[in-house]
Amino acid sequence: MNEASGGGSRAAAVTAPGAPTPEPVADERLANIGLVARLMRRPEVGSLLGALVICAFFWLTTDVFGTLNGIANWTDVASTLGIMAVAVALLMIGGEFDLSAGVMTGTTGLLMGLLTTEWGISMWPAIALTFLFAATVGFLNGYMVMRTKLPSFIVTLATFFVLQGVNLGVTKAITGTVRVAGLGDVPGYDSASKLFSSTFWAPHNFRISVIWWIAIAALATWVLARTRAGNWIFAVGGDANASRNVGVPVARVKIALFMTTAIAAALVGIMIALRLSSVQAGQGVGEEFTYIIAAVVGGCLLTGGYGSAIGASLGALIVGMAFIGIQFSGWNTDWRFLFLGVILLLAVLVNNLVRHRAEGARR
Amino acid sequence: MTAEKAPLLEVRGVSKYFGNVIALKDISLGVGAGEVTCVLGDNGAGKSSFIKILAGVHPHDDGEFLVEGEPVRFKSPRDARERGIATVFQDLATVPLMSVWRNFFLGSEPTVGKGPLRRIDVGRAQQTMREEMRKMGIDVRDADQPVGTLSGGERQAVAIARAVYFGAKVLILDEPTSALGVKQSGVVLRYVVQARERGLGVIFITHNPHHAYPVGDRFVVLNRGRLLGDWRRGEIGRDELVKMMSGGAELDQLTHELESQLEGPG
Amino acid sequence: MRGLRAGLLALLMVLGLAVFAEACGGDDDGGGDSGGSPATKDDVDLTQGQDVTIAMVTHGDGGSFWAVAKKGAEDGAKQMGVTLKYSESNNDPQKQAQLIDSAVTEKVDGLAVSAPNPDALKDSLQKAVDAGIPIITLNSGADDYESLGAYTHVGQTEEIAGEGAGAKFKEAGAKKVLCVIHEQANIGLNQRCDGAKTGFGGEVENLQVKGTDDVQTTLTEIQSKLQADKSIDAVLALNPDIAVAARDAIKGAGSSAKLGTFDLSGDVVTAIQDGEIEFAIDQQQYLQGYLPVVFLTLNKTNANTVGGGQPVLTGPGFVTKDNAETVAQLAQDGTR
Repeated sequence: MNEASGGGSRAAAVTAPGAPTPEPVADERLANIGLVARLMRRPEVGSLLGALVICAFFWLTTDVFGTLNGIANWTDVASTLGIMAVAVALLMIGGEFDLSAGVMTGTTGLLMGLLTTEWGISMWPAIALTFLFAATVGFLNGYMVMRTKLPSFIVTLATFFVLQGVNLGVTKAITGTVRVAGLGDVPGYDSASKLFSSTFWAPHNFRISVIWWIAIAALATWVLARTRAGNWIFAVGGDANASRNVGVPVARVKIALFMTTAIAAALVGIMIALRLSSVQAGQGVGEEFTYIIAAVVGGCLLTGGYGSAIGASLGALIVGMAFIGIQFSGWNTDWRFLFLGVILLLAVLVNNLVRHRAEGARR
Repeated sequence: MTAEKAPLLEVRGVSKYFGNVIALKDISLGVGAGEVTCVLGDNGAGKSSFIKILAGVHPHDDGEFLVEGEPVRFKSPRDARERGIATVFQDLATVPLMSVWRNFFLGSEPTVGKGPLRRIDVGRAQQTMREEMRKMGIDVRDADQPVGTLSGGERQAVAIARAVYFGAKVLILDEPTSALGVKQSGVVLRYVVQARERGLGVIFITHNPHHAYPVGDRFVVLNRGRLLGDWRRGEIGRDELVKMMSGGAELDQLTHELESQLEGPG
Repeated sequence: MRGLRAGLLALLMVLGLAVFAEACGGDDDGGGDSGGSPATKDDVDLTQGQDVTIAMVTHGDGGSFWAVAKKGAEDGAKQMGVTLKYSESNNDPQKQAQLIDSAVTEKVDGLAVSAPNPDALKDSLQKAVDAGIPIITLNSGADDYESLGAYTHVGQTEEIAGEGAGAKFKEAGAKKVLCVIHEQANIGLNQRCDGAKTGFGGEVENLQVKGTDDVQTTLTEIQSKLQADKSIDAVLALNPDIAVAARDAIKGAGSSAKLGTFDLSGDVVTAIQDGEIEFAIDQQQYLQGYLPVVFLTLNKTNANTVGGGQPVLTGPGFVTKDNAETVAQLAQDGTR
């Protein structure tokens, strides 16, 4: 007795249990057609399309966007954004938000600055301490979210306010001004700059943060697609309860993700501090939403369980290209935010459209 | 009289309290290899407290809980799984957005390589998943398709196949047919029989006696946390079972009252 | 079919962007590259201003103060017949550095920057120097313009202006001054308050407020402070939007504190005429936008350098009830 599976799924066929199972018919043929469909349903499609369109647009309408110098400019902007966007995307796939990620880039930079200029610690130990600090804050964020069971939006918003106040209050109390400066004179500055904030390929001067960004995006992609941890990240974001029931250590995974965003923020904070030889007390405030936007443009769902590190990188690239592209075009900068908003909206819409089409067609 | 097989899983006089509330009182039942024990009860009968004890979500307060003759007290669902007790909850413990193979191996992903290069053996995972699903009679052509796109019955199959594959000795199914239509339910019941035929012990929890009756070897009815009765196959008919479940005596009285009201005045 | 749809959508996006650019592209005819070789001593640039592009990169926030500076720059560019590329970094030094980098990439003919944070801009400005682009600083950075590679500075020195404000309050007989700082990251503002302390010679307390992004909250913050501390009888605002908020806060708190401010706007001038504000210190930011554009253009076309190695001061100028009338109309037009 053969019973159809029903329920509208055409991709699987049910045969009577116990009957000899038929050999799958011509799987290779299906695979060929499937490849295009498979590519279309990837979360990065919208952001890739958006990035290509914007790149083409500015390339064709300005003289310098496509030159190596120009590319160095917009990859510069995209790189620090991209590092954070990847970390924030991982957290979003895991089902949580970190609104303190932006201000954290300021806190870590300020900490490193104060350690070196006020308390005479040399650069490399200060950097190590800064990372340690960031890991602790990330741990606290994650622990509080898991313990209180409050939405991470709320918990990290509180952290955001705390850090914003601390940044300003501590800086003012210690230095009497609103910034920490003089990093250039600290022993170890030169070697640290080389690793974190130098440029390469003169005279075009690409920033080394671009290399960091690419490496981090590649690492994140590998973790998501090919490791157990990645599987767990998708799972706890998609359905934390179900994951717990099959033995995935939900709390550990989420806390690790919060620590990742904090450590990424430390990396970016250190990069900026070394580049500018100084840190403003207001650094990073407001950037947390840009990271989230880049991640969403890249295909991450706000509800978690779905997304891509490459997509988030492309989202960051779009923001960077738009920022510099508008400069090169000489448009009235009063309209800059309008333009950015329109681009991002379009990218997200294309994302949704393409994904729904790709999934719908397969049903 | 056929010799009773040594039960794979058995509870004797188990009770569970939540503060002042008695969720379960003095429950005794068991299941052996290759058997299906149906646990029936209406909503509020204590079925979910019971299943959580078996699954290791929380511990029992009184009585004994034995697995293969040894007393156990699970600290977590992971413990229970390791002892060979696989529970398929109503929400199926599957993540809808993830692909079938990722769900299949969630928590127990096969790896290759060492240290930081340790990665999931995707090829093996996909192949194994296909094979196990084929044994359930389902040919999953696209290993990457999200579980959410499968039908309800197919999703049950994934959950059951997963449990079976990972060496479950006892399979506990929590209301597997409740959210399904008639046709799909039939398919799932077939999986229950299959699991039995593969030598597992199955505890089938449901509030639908029509589904339980065809597949059960043993029937147990819960009502308000207590055991109403315990019958082997053949010892009770289906109608009787239905009556037992819906609180037969109370239903009779209600029918009587309504009838007299209708005939009543004038 | 799917691919076609996506392709159409992409095409639509490009067209949409192009139309948008046409509609909103104010200052540029699409390119902005200076082109041509730099003028040699024997070459007279007869097409004066045709190919010249001046970039102005400030740390501005788009508020009423910077809008006037921008107007000055735009007017200057129009009058000189050059292309202006104006951009603001909203107080983010990294963004400002990146904007300067992109101006260097475009090989502009002159670069005007505000430098509230000289360390942060040093490297990018060095790139401009290496590329042979002349630099003028404006508004902030009076102490550092030479080390940054600029040949002059157009603006007002903060301490001196602050001293002037303090002196004015002293004249008016005030006992305690509240100095309202609205930009968390601007050292210049702190310098003004320090200057006020020197000029006032009495008690000056600084108050950090939300800023021009959220004037309502700023108002509440000032009002609460005044209600809590009744000994404050003078308030010094450092921005025209903040001054207006302070005026309303003073009213709301039922305080009789005298109010002075830095910088002008139409509302501020009206308030001076109405006696609600005692004085405004005008750093004439219109000139801070206008003059650098003119200087850099002449530097390019006529090899002129202005300043003689000194900063070119645009303030402090005081606007009080006496001269408010004249200034009023100009402020309403957005040029003062």
